Amino acid sequence: MIKEIITYPTPPSVEYSTDVRVFNEDLFSLIDDLKETITANSLDGLAAFQIGNHFNVVVVKKEDGSFLELINPRIIMKNGNIVGMEKTAYFPGLSAEVKRYNKISVVYQDRDSNQHSLKAEGAFSVLLQRKIDYTFGSSFLNKLSSKEKAIFEKKLEFGSDIAISETCPTTFKRDYLVKLANSLVIVIAILLFVSLFVDDKSCLSEIWKYQLYTSFGVLGVNIVYFFYAQYEGKEFTSCTSCQIGNIIGTTLISLVKLTFVMILSYFLVNPL
Amino acid sequence: MARLIVLGGGVSGHTAATFAAKWLGSAHEVVVVTPNAKWNWIPSNIWVGVGQMSKEDVTFDLAPVYAKAGITYKQAKAVSLNPAGNELSERPFVTIEYTEQSRAGENENIEYDYVINATGPKLNFGATPGLGEGDSLGEHTVSVCTADHAVHAADELNKCIQKMKSGERQKFLIGTGHGLCTCQGAAFEYIFNVEHELKKAGVRDMADLKWISNESFLGDFGVGGLHMKSMGFAVSSKIFAESLFTERNVDWIIGAHVNKVEAGKVHYELLDGDMGEEDFDFSMLIPPFAGVGLKAYGKDGSDITDTIFAPNGFLKVDANYGAGAYENWKASDWPLTYQNPTYSNMFACGIAFAPPHAISKPMKSPNGTPIGPTPPRTGMPSGIIGKAVAHSICDRILKGEDAPLHEASMAHMGAACVASAGKGLFTGTAAAMTIYPVVPDFEKYPGTGRDTDYTFGEIGLAGHWIKHILHHLFMHKAKLNVGWTLIPE
Repeated sequence: MIKEIITYPTPPSVEYSTDVRVFNEDLFSLIDDLKETITANSLDGLAAFQIGNHFNVVVVKKEDGSFLELINPRIIMKNGNIVGMEKTAYFPGLSAEVKRYNKISVVYQDRDSNQHSLKAEGAFSVLLQRKIDYTFGSSFLNKLSSKEKAIFEKKLEFGSDIAISETCPTTFKRDYLVKLANSLVIVIAILLFVSLFVDDKSCLSEIWKYQLYTSFGVLGVNIVYFFYAQYEGKEFTSCTSCQIGNIIGTTLISLVKLTFVMILSYFLVNPL
Repeated sequence: MARLIVLGGGVSGHTAATFAAKWLGSAHEVVVVTPNAKWNWIPSNIWVGVGQMSKEDVTFDLAPVYAKAGITYKQAKAVSLNPAGNELSERPFVTIEYTEQSRAGENENIEYDYVINATGPKLNFGATPGLGEGDSLGEHTVSVCTADHAVHAADELNKCIQKMKSGERQKFLIGTGHGLCTCQGAAFEYIFNVEHELKKAGVRDMADLKWISNESFLGDFGVGGLHMKSMGFAVSSKIFAESLFTERNVDWIIGAHVNKVEAGKVHYELLDGDMGEEDFDFSMLIPPFAGVGLKAYGKDGSDITDTIFAPNGFLKVDANYGAGAYENWKASDWPLTYQNPTYSNMFACGIAFAPPHAISKPMKSPNGTPIGPTPPRTGMPSGIIGKAVAHSICDRILKGEDAPLHEASMAHMGAACVASAGKGLFTGTAAAMTIYPVVPDFEKYPGTGRDTDYTFGEIGLAGHWIKHILHHLFMHKAKLNVGWTLIPE
């Protein structure tokens, strides 16, 4: 029977993987279900876990198209490392760069409970490792480097691999421009505050002049920010804080602050 | 006046003897026969083995403690049992051979009404050529099974650290020294404590650490692994252990039966039949356990050892030894009362009872070599079993022969394990794990056989503090200091 493949975020099973102890019709039926589900979905293999069964069973497709049934598999020997992009039915449409062992030796039982071992290398080794991970309640998420994990979590959030190749940084160079603009607005505000204690018109005129020049500076910094932020954002296409809406919003907030301070200054500082 | 003899003064025997002495009072006699003059809190030997504790920190003299408890203490080893007496007397007795210096080699027969076999294991170094002779550690490796072994291990470790400081790279190989070992947890603790000490000494980059074990997957620990439930998801101890090993840059070989040890090299066979070799400069390999070799004789002097003891030398108790193949194993195979089926006044506790079968999945290499952990009976379960057995015997002495026996099946019992991964007030770490039940009950808990609501694990500094507090608590309890009965096993 073709079974529904469990996908993220549903846990593959809350009944955790356990070794097969009794080799009977129930087991054979499970293996048949796995084969039919693999064929129907054009997959390279499935762990019983992925169709919601808690037994430690894996079925994979060999290069010649035949099926290999592995019951209670264990990876005994490992050698060398290999890094490659992997996909799995549990995370449909998504891929991640996973570090695996290049060569492994697996011991397992067949449907008659006889023990066997096999040696695998390259892609077949990676496939077996990925499926055996499921039998111990894991997915490739637990194998990712912290950097790759952060990228993959973004992919999970967007539900897509497309245009997601990096993480979203928490700080940008353009943030310095925002800080500069804010600092200049604070300078204008301080001058406004000082002017309240000044009666001399020529002095007030000087203060207003400085405020005006500084406001031009703030305007200029905002213009530079607006264009530079878009340029910088092109490097981080998956990042929400890099989108144009965000940049326009930040620029507008800065200009509103400037306008507010300058209107007040126009009436309170400007002696003309 | 009834007499209870407890053979062995380890965690289980000491617990049984001290509680029995408390419950029986001075109206009856409790005798402890143990070859050791000191009691040893074995879990802390790990810290002795890395030079973070001294032998004195983890041991104390038994004589004053037993004098305080009113227990008759014989520093001797048990040689044989005559559960039906002999031609001269109907009374059952134990033959002991003194090990204390003033009476060394002297034999004595002590009659008993009840006997508890709590001898612990024979450290069977001799089972692996080169690992040692009989129960003596060989010259090529170190051990942390006894406090003296651990002191030796710390010295050897220090020599390696000095070599690394002078620029000489060192290879460390730690794990199990035979295909049928238990106590993977102790080796697990040791390798991470060594790693921690190397880091502290500033020589971690000069060391290659490798784990070798008979487990078929990392994190089996002799209990078939455990599952840690979190947010509705459960991850196997395999993933937990692999993450820890990878994070600490410790490589591993699993499914391995070490079949020969030479100077600086071990030879091993893997579950897939492959043979391999591994070099080392420092190696701590846990030996397999066996019974201590007690003999048993019938009234007519005939050897009835096979009737009383299982082939591995451990005492037969009320377990189902005929369970057969893995698919037939049940929780009910495990003993409830630890009473010998032939002699009702004979009990066992701790490692000394013969388990009905392994807990982990039994596996063999294509060459027919069995490779897989044997079941652990140490730590918390051994204390609980010791207390239950003492309770049963005290009830029978005080209330009569028909008093019901107390039960402490490992299939109904949970256990907590705090595995140290480095000692330090602020830099220490330990993995705290609970498991319920110890022996999976596949009928009650389909799937893993365990109740995942009570099976979890965390690693961190708090775990280390718990481990350190437990050290002091259990030393306090074993010394029978104020409030000792309030401290759980």
